[in-house]
Amino acid sequence: MTRSPVTNPYLLVLPGFLLAAFIILWPLYQLGTISLSEVNRFGQLRGFAGLDNYIAVFTDPDFLGALWRTLVWTVGIVFGSLIISVPVALILNEDFYGRSLARVIVMLPWAVSLTMTAIVWRWALNGESGMLNSGLQAIGIIDTNIQWLARASTAFPVQILIGVLVTIPFTTTIFLGGLSSISDDLYEAARLEGASRWQAFRQITLPLIRPFLNISIVLNMIYVFNSFPIIWATTQGGPANSTDILVTYLYKLGFRFGKLGEASALSVMMFALLLIFTITYVALAMRSERQ
Amino acid sequence: MSAKLKRTIVAWALLSPLIVLIVFPFAVMFITAIKPAQEVLRPTWWPSEVAWRNFIDMWPATNFGPALWNSIYVAVLSTVLALIASVPAAYALNRYRFSGRGLFRQFLLVSQMLSPMVLVIGLFRLVVWLGLLDNVNSVVFVYGAFAVAFTVLMLQSYFATIPRDLEEAAWVEGASAWKALVIVFLPLAIPAITVTAIFSFINAWNEFVIALTMLRRQESYTLPIQIFSLVAGRYTVEWHHVMAATFVATIPVAIVFAWLQRYLVRGLAIGAVK
Repeated sequence: MTRSPVTNPYLLVLPGFLLAAFIILWPLYQLGTISLSEVNRFGQLRGFAGLDNYIAVFTDPDFLGALWRTLVWTVGIVFGSLIISVPVALILNEDFYGRSLARVIVMLPWAVSLTMTAIVWRWALNGESGMLNSGLQAIGIIDTNIQWLARASTAFPVQILIGVLVTIPFTTTIFLGGLSSISDDLYEAARLEGASRWQAFRQITLPLIRPFLNISIVLNMIYVFNSFPIIWATTQGGPANSTDILVTYLYKLGFRFGKLGEASALSVMMFALLLIFTITYVALAMRSERQ
Repeated sequence: MSAKLKRTIVAWALLSPLIVLIVFPFAVMFITAIKPAQEVLRPTWWPSEVAWRNFIDMWPATNFGPALWNSIYVAVLSTVLALIASVPAAYALNRYRFSGRGLFRQFLLVSQMLSPMVLVIGLFRLVVWLGLLDNVNSVVFVYGAFAVAFTVLMLQSYFATIPRDLEEAAWVEGASAWKALVIVFLPLAIPAITVTAIFSFINAWNEFVIALTMLRRQESYTLPIQIFSLVAGRYTVEWHHVMAATFVATIPVAIVFAWLQRYLVRGLAIGAVK
């Protein structure tokens, strides 16, 4: 057989590798450089600044608020969707009439872009004309209009709820994959031994879908931590930065306030955090692959 | 009552609160899109008459045509770019053992997870440096490059299901490696490539933050940015036009996604979990 480029794996891999590496490493190098420099709002570097930008980020009260809300946001959505998705996956794994229709409906939020979902919710939550208020009034749950997005105390929980809603399809899908890998014989045996359904769930289902739970938690943490459109398209982090999470705060720092040095420092720190999550995920994925 | 019927009632009853929440935004979108203009701000659910002409009126009112074209342009070209780079890479990962192979896979798994969000300022500088600010091609490049990790992993997991024997048989028959690839392998790989391309397309179609950052003038807006610009920071929003535009921009893609969703799950499952 003659040598040809098709038989050299390195040549085949090279374009993809270069493209994927360049798009991460070049911006990362830029961010590292800017974060250690004094920089004006037009992005010109004015000399070495040490860790000044990092210190400025940490002493900004808005940062600390956004950091705290990011924790609430991430944990709230990841565990909120987990708690709902486990029973939903168990139900969708049963054999009942219209199951495929039910599966399609549960998957719907995944099919629509987050931006569009958020824009629709922004309208639905409108204080005077929104259909959520009129719907809730019609069934008698509230009697005056609620200005959902005007205050953080209602806006942020609603945003988390939207986040849960759009995270359920992916999470449920992973669990369904896990459930379908459990053989029916195990449940059969448990029934013959006289185990109740709850016992079967605790002793068989839960341990066997544990790897899938872990994967979904880590993946969702990464996705939710980075999720920008829901908050940006509903409140843009407002009113008065009270619904900002780190990603929206980062965007404002960089593109609204022109504090490129601080924004870069924050990006580098978020990148490092994300890398830790990601390496955890890859380790988990590799482990389950080896098993 | 049969056991299955009983299960059916229980299952739908338990799912119903979630289903109401899921269907609610779709209902809001559709009902607003068909409301006559003068009824939009009235907090009633049902329109007195169905205003189908909103779907025609929104076209010029929301600048839908140019944004649609930009979205198609960006999604198609970025997908083509990603595929050109990733089909050979996925083929190599699957068919050859070479040192660094495991490392390359780990690199892809890691970079698939690194969202452009935390790099957005660096990406902005990259685009400025390339002189492509406000140019849809900047978005093509960034989407294409970011899609590579996903498309390689997805293609790779499907290529594994294409038997190697056929190419080997072609080699024995005297075909060159290149010929075996083009005549034997690629036709069998077309379904995998198509599915991967559709997901890459949908990702690009839905992307928000990169487009928001790189595209500053209305001529270069993609659909999500165009529709967002009609809502953000405005005192009067023509919600019936916005919802009609959202509907048209969303539903065709959503149907394709819902139809192909199980392939994504299978690809993810082979690529990551299993």
